[in-house]
Amino acid sequence: MGLGNYFKDIKAGLTSAFEGMSISLASLFVRPVTVQYPDVDVKSDEAMRENYNGPLRGMPDNYRGLLDVDLEICISCKLCEKACPIDCILIEDVKIDKKQIVGRNGKSTMKMKSPIQFDIDNSKCMFCGLCVDPCPTGAIVHTNEFEFNRSDRSQLISRFVKADDRAQLKVRGAEIAIEDAKAKAEKAAKKKAEAEAKAKEEEEASKDQSEAKGTKE
Amino acid sequence: MDILIQTIGDIINADLGSPLAAFIALLLVSLAILGFMSLTAGGLSFIERRVAGRMQSRIGPNRVGPQGILQFMADGLKCAQKEDLIPDGADRLLFKLAPVLCFIGVFGTFAVLPWGNGFFASELNVGLLYLMSVTSLVVIGMLMAGWSSNNKWSLLGGMRSAAQMVSYEIPVALSLLPVILLCGSLSFKELIGAQGAMPWDWNILNSPFTFISFFIFFLAALAEGNRTPFDIPEGESELVAGYCTEYSGLRFVFFFFAEWANLYVIGAVAAAVFLGGGHLPFGLESDIVSLLVFFAKSFFMVFIIIWLRWTLPRFRVDQMMTLCWKTLIPLSFVMLFGQAITLLIYHELTFLQSIVSLVLFAICVLVGVKFVSRVLVNIKEQKYKMMHTLTGS
Amino acid sequence: MVKEELKTEYMTINMGPQHPSTHGVIRFVIKTDGEIIHHCEPDVGYLHRSIEKIAELMPWQSFIPYTDRVDYVAAMNANWSYCMAVEKLAGIEVPERAEYLRVIVSELNRISSHLVAIGAADMDMGAYTPFIHALRERESINDLLELICGARLTYNYMSLGGVRFDAPPLFKEKTLAFLDHFEPVHEQIHRLISDNHIFQKRFRKVAVVSADMAKKYNLVGPNLRGSGVKFDVRKDEPYSIYDQLDFDVPVGKGFEGVVGDCYDRYIVRAEEIRQSVRIIRQCFDKMPEGDIAAKVKRVLKPPAGHIYVRTETPRGDAGYFISCDGKTSPERVKIRTGSFTAMSIIPELAKGLFIADLVAVIGSFDIVAPELDR
Ligand code: SF4
Ligand code: SF4
Repeated sequence: MGLGNYFKDIKAGLTSAFEGMSISLASLFVRPVTVQYPDVDVKSDEAMRENYNGPLRGMPDNYRGLLDVDLEICISCKLCEKACPIDCILIEDVKIDKKQIVGRNGKSTMKMKSPIQFDIDNSKCMFCGLCVDPCPTGAIVHTNEFEFNRSDRSQLISRFVKADDRAQLKVRGAEIAIEDAKAKAEKAAKKKAEAEAKAKEEEEASKDQSEAKGTKE
Repeated sequence: MDILIQTIGDIINADLGSPLAAFIALLLVSLAILGFMSLTAGGLSFIERRVAGRMQSRIGPNRVGPQGILQFMADGLKCAQKEDLIPDGADRLLFKLAPVLCFIGVFGTFAVLPWGNGFFASELNVGLLYLMSVTSLVVIGMLMAGWSSNNKWSLLGGMRSAAQMVSYEIPVALSLLPVILLCGSLSFKELIGAQGAMPWDWNILNSPFTFISFFIFFLAALAEGNRTPFDIPEGESELVAGYCTEYSGLRFVFFFFAEWANLYVIGAVAAAVFLGGGHLPFGLESDIVSLLVFFAKSFFMVFIIIWLRWTLPRFRVDQMMTLCWKTLIPLSFVMLFGQAITLLIYHELTFLQSIVSLVLFAICVLVGVKFVSRVLVNIKEQKYKMMHTLTGS
Repeated sequence: MVKEELKTEYMTINMGPQHPSTHGVIRFVIKTDGEIIHHCEPDVGYLHRSIEKIAELMPWQSFIPYTDRVDYVAAMNANWSYCMAVEKLAGIEVPERAEYLRVIVSELNRISSHLVAIGAADMDMGAYTPFIHALRERESINDLLELICGARLTYNYMSLGGVRFDAPPLFKEKTLAFLDHFEPVHEQIHRLISDNHIFQKRFRKVAVVSADMAKKYNLVGPNLRGSGVKFDVRKDEPYSIYDQLDFDVPVGKGFEGVVGDCYDRYIVRAEEIRQSVRIIRQCFDKMPEGDIAAKVKRVLKPPAGHIYVRTETPRGDAGYFISCDGKTSPERVKIRTGSFTAMSIIPELAKGLFIADLVAVIGSFDIVAPELDR
């Protein structure tokens, strides 16, 4: 190691440390970027404007937090269930009285079924949003709720259908099912009767024909 | 506290006939020092974390007590509640002894450390020598800790610390020699007494050689105290936690207690030997004021150490050795001889000394001004100037 | 007297899986003589989640969120590689605006990924402040990406045929404002650490990978360019709209060291961040209005065949091989990642280095454990 190198080393060390120390001292005087999360309401625009200088203010509109389902407009098509890569949605449904509903996207649809069980397992859900995309009515959406610490794992499952609603829907569903079955049976009977009548007619007609043939002969 | 030490010191000095009384007096002094040391170590741990936080654009501990000032107590309590683990296959005796040795090594230094201009727990005429010898106990403690933990990372840490501290004791001692030469004494009292109140009367600005010696001392003392850029024995990202990997609970606290107290020791020695002790100009000097001035200087040095830690990366083991043996030791020898010659010259031309000191002082001020301007530029760069005009989420 | 021979043996140390500087869970079994490494054997697979196998059970679209997890430091780029492969396979045309959005988010993500790489390398060297400063800037990028796609880390932003969300209002302004702020701060971070003499001493002339060796070991991305080989998929086999954009491919020049040392690999990343900033600015200038996604059938059945697509992710040339038998899910997906090849060169480099240097080597190769194991 030459003497020149020796002094160059010392000089480089000192000057770079000089600059480095000026930078770390500078950050001592710049406001910290930390947002004291539970104290500051991070969802609110105003609170964030006061406490945070980054590009984000409050929550973005398309924030992917806990899922929420609007059962009023869910037509139980189960597209979301199929789209979910990890099967964390579970839907069971019954028939209900038909009604016209208007989805979040403004389209109106006929609602014929309603879920009696709509569970989303938040412990599995990865908030990918793939279930939101295919929903025809926009019933399933992400909220901006991101705090879901629970004391128990079972509490992590969001059950959207309430117990008494389910009971009601089940009862009504069963009635509808019976009605439907009845209607179906009636329909079938009607159809059968019609078919029979038709067959008779045809028979008669063919008879007539053959008779007519016979007369010809 | 200072009053306490003074009165007790007086009692000891006034030759108490009975050995019991002397023992009690000594005990009281050590208890007072222990109290001071714990407060300093704890306070420094808090200051370090807050400063580190702010340097890294975060806040740091601010939950326990006002502005988090009680954080160190909470940490101490937490550690005290932890299970005291001794790894299987560890050398139990050495394992238990090691933190104590580290602690004693640092605690012992407080015996001679000055408190302001007039107060000493014990005024030894070989104060500096004693200080350097006592701190070498720390090496043994760390080596013991590394060896006895039965963990390879600890062992590496222990070996590193032994190599490092043994090497760096030499530049520490050598860089103190020019000053000793200058003042002609090893006692802290006389070292402080030989300096004046104004910066250019301090030992550091006596000649270019003491000036550079100060930096050598500072660097080598950093290495002795295991601080970045020489935190190689702990080297978090390399050796997990180095020699104290296997320690938990109170034993772990002891190590860090020692480390932070050591910080103060470095600061105090630098302040006493190089930075003019507790002198204050314009006849403002009194005992209490000198105490405060001395603390201010020591804590400023400590702040610089902390600041360095949060700026610099760490050396590699071999580079650290190279720095010691190939850079610092030769340089400190040069400084020693240079200072000796300077003293001869000063002896002939007394006016030269004040000129040199003033020039050095001017250089320091210039560097300081440059530094402040750089800091201002950096502050401006770092500030978020962005989103104030843009609203909406 | 019994003559005793002095016997020495190597010390075997387990570095990892739980070690502060292995960037995730990787294990190195190292045999050392004191501090000097004689033998180093990487042990990978601690983060294996069989993502490639999962793909075979998934409909084509549903696999996209999994690609986020392949490389969570640069999830956008992983998304993009997979989407591009499937689009080529199924012959889907991506609208131009979507391409621009893709480039913007990927380059933002590249910046954030390189910031992590640089910061982590700094932290391995014991400098914590630059790491946190780098992460502070990355946080703003996360904010921007959250604005556009609603998630901060696992974006799942791209869909087959385009992107899932259009840029929100003010996204352009915010991004440009951020870049204006970021450029000087980025330089400042480099003044703080990359110019630091101690840091340079730690990184220079350590673990030199020559160009030949880099090619032999199939290094990719910044690691390859650090060795002085000018190869960038974006430039040499341009995909998407990269051929219309103006940017340079930085290579290692042996900045006061040797070409291909740790410092070169490190500084190439820094230079790439500057280039990414340039690219993003150009994209915002040129971005057209229009659709953000092509219409793709919900149940996709691409024609049978296979395809290999390579893209330039922050960790280098990522290859997605997909074999399709015309069904609703892939027959086989094979992901080729940069970290894995970088890992294979470490045993050879590690010989004769210090333990502290091994840390520097891992840091300079920017190895991300999940990408390594998948
Ligand atoms: S967000 Fe993703 S993981 Fe969660 S329920 Fe929807 S599809 Fe499934
Ligand atoms: S896709 Fe929408 S409408 Fe269909 S079941 Fe799911 S939430 Fe209901």
